[in-house]
Amino acid sequence: MKLTSAAAMLALTVSSLTLSTAAFAGEVVWWTPNWGEARAKELVEKFQAANPGITIKAEITVSDGLPQRVLTALQSGGAPDIIEVQHGWVNGYAQNGLIIPLDDTIQDKDDYTKAAIDYVTWDNQLWAIPYRMETRAVVFNKGDFTAVGLDPANPPQTWDQFVDAATKLSVNGKSGFAITGGGEMGNTITASLPYVWMAGGALISDDMTTATANSPETVKGVTFYTDFLKKGLSPASTLENDGTAARRLFIAGTVSSYLGGQFDIPSIKTENPAIDIGVFPIPHPEGVNTAGVLGGWSYVIPKDAKNPTDAKLFLQFLNTTENQGFFTDTFPVRVSSQALPRFDDPILSVFKSMLPYARPVPIHKNWVQITQAYFDGLQRIMLDEQTPQEAMDQANEEIQALLDS
Amino acid sequence: MKSQTGLLFALPALIVLFMLIAYPVAYTGLLSVTDAKGNFSGLDNFAAVLKPKVTVQAFINTIYWVFGSIVFQVVLGTLTAILLNQSFFGRGALRAITLIPWVVPGIVAATTWAWMFHTEFGIINYMLTGTGVLQNPIGWLTNKDTVMPVLIAINVWKLFPFVAIMVLAGLQSIPNDLYEAARVDGATFWEEVWYIMLPSVRPVITAVTLLLVIWGLNSITIIYAITRGGPANKTLITPIQIFRSAFESFQFNQAAALSVIFFAVTIVVVFIYIKVLSAQPGEAK
Repeated sequence: MKLTSAAAMLALTVSSLTLSTAAFAGEVVWWTPNWGEARAKELVEKFQAANPGITIKAEITVSDGLPQRVLTALQSGGAPDIIEVQHGWVNGYAQNGLIIPLDDTIQDKDDYTKAAIDYVTWDNQLWAIPYRMETRAVVFNKGDFTAVGLDPANPPQTWDQFVDAATKLSVNGKSGFAITGGGEMGNTITASLPYVWMAGGALISDDMTTATANSPETVKGVTFYTDFLKKGLSPASTLENDGTAARRLFIAGTVSSYLGGQFDIPSIKTENPAIDIGVFPIPHPEGVNTAGVLGGWSYVIPKDAKNPTDAKLFLQFLNTTENQGFFTDTFPVRVSSQALPRFDDPILSVFKSMLPYARPVPIHKNWVQITQAYFDGLQRIMLDEQTPQEAMDQANEEIQALLDS
Repeated sequence: MKSQTGLLFALPALIVLFMLIAYPVAYTGLLSVTDAKGNFSGLDNFAAVLKPKVTVQAFINTIYWVFGSIVFQVVLGTLTAILLNQSFFGRGALRAITLIPWVVPGIVAATTWAWMFHTEFGIINYMLTGTGVLQNPIGWLTNKDTVMPVLIAINVWKLFPFVAIMVLAGLQSIPNDLYEAARVDGATFWEEVWYIMLPSVRPVITAVTLLLVIWGLNSITIIYAITRGGPANKTLITPIQIFRSAFESFQFNQAAALSVIFFAVTIVVVFIYIKVLSAQPGEAK
C-alpha cells in the first residue's frame, strides 16, 4: 500500500519539480527524448521565428523509466502539451481517456505508412501522429562469416539456412546468434514475435477474444526461437540479456550475429571499428515472407494539455515532409520523407527492405500483461522448466483470463 | 492557550505528514474498491489480483526472500559486532570499513553486483574458472536454483553492517563488572557471549529484526535492478508485482488492491512478532 502510493506521490512530486509544466498563454511544453535534442532545438527556433506569438519549451526526456513518467504526468493532470511516446503505448492512453484525438491535426494522411497509422488508431479515431518507425534485422560480423567458410555476401534466407549458419559460427567459444531472454521485456517480445508470426501463429486471435498462444503454429515459432539457446547457439547468459546486452556481446566479439536496429550501427562502429558490419533480413520458413515488429515513436497531446491549439499548430509544423525526415533517428513514417537523401545509406537499405513486412502488435488494453505471460513462458522454456507446449499452455490460460477480464 | 500554541508549531509538520502519508494511504484504499473510471466496484479488484498463480508465487518468494535475508543478516551482523567489540589493532578502521556496504546507494550496489555475477562478463565466474574451481561458467542469475540465494546474499551484504553497528552499540553499554564477575567464576569467552552479551543485546536485536522485516517486505531496489523479478518470476516478490501492475500495466486499481492485501498481511506479521516477543519472560523493555 505504502509502496504504490508513496511511489506515485514521489513520481508526481519529482515530475512537477523537475519539469515545470505550467504553461503560459502562447507557450507549448514539449517532452522530447534526449537523442533528438539538437535537432529539436533547431526546429523550435525555426518555428518560433515563423510564429512570433508562440513559445516552444522543449523539455528533454530519457528513455529509461519514460513509460512510468509519462503515465504519472498523464494521470496527475499536470501534463505538458506534447509528448513523444512509443506507438505501442498510445492505445492504453486512448482507452483510458488520457489523450485527445488528432484527426483534425494530421495533414496528408495518405502519405503516412498505413501500418503506423493503424497502430495509433482506436475506435475509428487517430490518437497520435506517428513520425518515426523502424523494424529489426539481423546484424552480423562479416569477418566471422568468412572465418567459418560462410559467404557474407550471401547470408542465410530461410530458417534452415539460418540454423545451419548459426551452428557453423558457434565455434571457439563464440555464439552464432544471440537471442534475448531477460532484462527489458519489450526487447524479447520484439525479437521473438516475428518467428511466431512467420510460423502462422499469434498470441491472440484477430478478434481479440481467444488466446492462441498454445496453437501448434505459435508453439512452432516459440520452439524455433528458444532452440537457439537449447542448441547452444546463443550465449549462456541469454536469460540475462536484452537488446543492449546482446549488442555489447557483439561488440566484444563473443557473438557473431544478433537482432539489432539501425540505431545500433553507430555505437558498434565507435566501440569496435574492427568489426566489418553486415545486415540481413530476418530469415523466414521456406515459401513464407519474413516478418518484423513495427516499432517507433508518435506525438500525443494529453487531455489536460494547457495549450492544445498551439500544440496542434506546432505538430503540423513538425510533420511537414522535410521536418519529419529531418527530425527522426530512424525512418520517417511519411513516404515522401523517406525519399530524402539521408536514407540512402546501403546498411539502412536492409532495414528499409524489412519495413513492408513489419506488423503492429495487437491493440488490446491488457497487451502489456499478455506479453508478460508470454515472456514468462519463454523464460520457463529457457530455464528447462517446461517444454514449449507446456509453457505455452500455461501462458495461454493466463492470456485467456486477461482477454476475459 | 498553551496547547494551542503547541498545535500551531506542530501544524506544518502535521500537514506535511498528512499529505505524504495519510492521504496516499487513504487514496490507495479508495482506488482498491473502484474501477479505472472511478466507479465503485466492490471486491472485484481483489478477486482479479488473487486469481493468477503468480500472486501466490510472488507471496512465497517474498517469504523466502525476507526470511532468508534476515536470518543471515542477524547472525552475521551479531558475530561481526562481537568481533568489533574486542580490542585489537586497527579496530577503528575495520569498524569504518564494515559500514561501507550500508552507505553505498542501493541501485549502485545492485548494478555492480549484477555485473559481477554476469555469466559472460562477471568477475566471479572469471575468478572461478580462471583458478580452475569451475570448468564452465555458472549462470548465477539465470539458474532457477541459484538466483534467489544470490539475491539474498547481496541483500545480506548490504544490510548486515547495519545490524553490526546497532548490536555493537548495545554491547558497548554492558557494564564491565559483569565480564569481571564471569571471569572470576571461570567463564570462557563463548560463555561470556552466550550468558552476558546475547541476553544484554536481545532488545536491540529484536528491534533491528523488526526493522529488517519491514525493510525486507518493502524492498524493491536490489531485485528490480538485477532481475526485474525474473527469470520466469523466480524472484518476483509482491512489492515488484505491485509496481509492475501499476506502472507497467496501467492497472492502478488492481495494484492498489494488492497493496491493501499486502499491507494487511504485513500488519498481522508485525503484530504477531511483537506479541510473541512481549510474551517472553524477563524481556527488558
